[in-house]
Amino acid sequence: MKSSRYLVYIGVLIILLTLPFYTGVYLLNVMDIILIYLALALSWDMLLRSGQISFGMAGLFGVGGYAAALIHLNAGVSPLLSIALGGLAAGFLACLIGMAVLQLRGMYFAIVTLALAEIFRVVIRNLPDLTGGPEGTILPSAIFSGNSTKTYWLVLTVAAVSVIASEIFRRTRIHFALTSIRNDEIVAKSSGISVFKYLVFIFAVTSAIQGITGGAYAHIYGFVSPEGSFSLDFTLLPIAMTLLGGMHSTWGPVVGALLLGVVSEFLKLKIPYGHLLVYGIIIVITILFFPQGIVGTIGQRLKKNHVERLAS
Amino acid sequence: MQVFSKLKQSNYQITIISIVLATILALWKPHVLIEGLQRGCLYAVIALPMALILGIVGIINLAHGDFMMLGAYFAYFLNVHLGTDPLVAIFPALLAFFLIGIASYRAIIKYVLSSPELNQLLLTFGLAMVIEQLANLLWTSRPIKLPLRYVSASATIGSFTFGTFEFVYVGAAIIVLAGLLLFLKHTSTGQAALAVGQNPRGAKLVGINVDRTYLFIFSLSIALVGSIGAIFMTRHSIFPLVGAPFTMKSFCLIAMAGIGNLMGILWCSLILGIAENFVLSFRGYAGWADILFFALIVLVIIIRSRQRQVK
Repeated sequence: MKSSRYLVYIGVLIILLTLPFYTGVYLLNVMDIILIYLALALSWDMLLRSGQISFGMAGLFGVGGYAAALIHLNAGVSPLLSIALGGLAAGFLACLIGMAVLQLRGMYFAIVTLALAEIFRVVIRNLPDLTGGPEGTILPSAIFSGNSTKTYWLVLTVAAVSVIASEIFRRTRIHFALTSIRNDEIVAKSSGISVFKYLVFIFAVTSAIQGITGGAYAHIYGFVSPEGSFSLDFTLLPIAMTLLGGMHSTWGPVVGALLLGVVSEFLKLKIPYGHLLVYGIIIVITILFFPQGIVGTIGQRLKKNHVERLAS
Repeated sequence: MQVFSKLKQSNYQITIISIVLATILALWKPHVLIEGLQRGCLYAVIALPMALILGIVGIINLAHGDFMMLGAYFAYFLNVHLGTDPLVAIFPALLAFFLIGIASYRAIIKYVLSSPELNQLLLTFGLAMVIEQLANLLWTSRPIKLPLRYVSASATIGSFTFGTFEFVYVGAAIIVLAGLLLFLKHTSTGQAALAVGQNPRGAKLVGINVDRTYLFIFSLSIALVGSIGAIFMTRHSIFPLVGAPFTMKSFCLIAMAGIGNLMGILWCSLILGIAENFVLSFRGYAGWADILFFALIVLVIIIRSRQRQVK
């Protein structure tokens, strides 16, 4: 049972790695976008496991993107290293912010992260000497001079890093700490969990992932701008994906991102100006009818069947 | 509702300081004061219905601004097809949006009342997306504006000229606030709504129909915000995303004032409106005005959480 599962993982990994050899550029570009959203969705879910809702994903995504682009431009650091540094910058910033705001809970934390994301955007727009102002900054060339195969591998690596991070967080004691904080903070505190420290730590880690993703995005398209890099899409779409796939798991966001990514690509061709409409409808229907998401609902079904089989 | 107790313990020092500041501002940059007052009242009048839903039904309605957008389009189409003046269209908008409120409560909101907060947030967020995108599909994202002559009315005092039409926002804010306070304090339905807001189970125990109260309050708020859309569109051009920033701002104002403090929303709106106009009045720094709102909200929330911890 267990070994067959690993075989499936390895098979999927090989297919994903060798994808460039038997598909066209178009599909690779679609995969790039899907994998970027996948990494964002996973990082959002990782923070959600502690019960904290962040609406500031686009802010840290944009900060990572700008940091990577500016470090590359001004310090001449190689693109790959600058992406990592961009992630580090976002993580460090999140660490500072987290220390200031992580005693907030629920909607207050959500609203503060949303406000902070807006503040980042306005600050960057109003510093034209450093950031290029409202027009943004164009990088001399896209990463790997636009080679779609290498770009795909880069994005795949970013997505893989977030999957691995998420799995590590699920399988170590961090998982129990976060889950108990989510379920009952007072109980968590009295069982000796340092709630604040864990929250700052997870907020910094997830923000670093968002920063790396932002850096990769900036280098792939060779361009950063206040409206593009801080677009609310980078907050909203990953949330929809996580929700559809199922919260509090690794595979939920992955399934959700793949499904919604493919669907939205298809819808963009069919209804170019209203494809987000379907997104909204999916969110509403999911919340009303499957609050557990796809993976959660299927998991429950399977468990129920298993129990019934054991009983009979 | 701690409105009255708030008034009693209101700090005289703060009142005096704000009067002095306002006088200085009136002498130095009078248009900042007047435009700030008008803008602040616009914020307040949009935030008040949202506060009503949040305080009594307990739902953060992220589609709030989008209902205002729908109201604006409603007034626009009434004007185009029937020639109704937008200010007259307030009354049909009240009725129409009351019905829309009933429909959305019955179809959607009702089912998430006992869900976790996140689900409610995401649901209304999805609703906002549906409304915005539907408007985008139906009416395109092109901004539209009615050519109304009376909106550019102005008055002159000495050498200083200012727009007078925008005082309609001030009037609307006062009417809505006074109306809501009267309704909540002096009618039995309002008292029942307050009771439900404080403790739904207790309200049920004393025989209040909680579901109907929720339905009524939700629909009332949607009706109010829809009719505000009609006022809004007289002066502003409208497009499908025009309401979204107001959702954010309303929510920020409610968080600043504290849930259930309707009077506080008006004060916070005025402070923000004047502060924004103050920053806007400096040439070259206008871009920073947007940050004010968010910086203030972050500060207020953090300070409040610290205060609560100390207590």
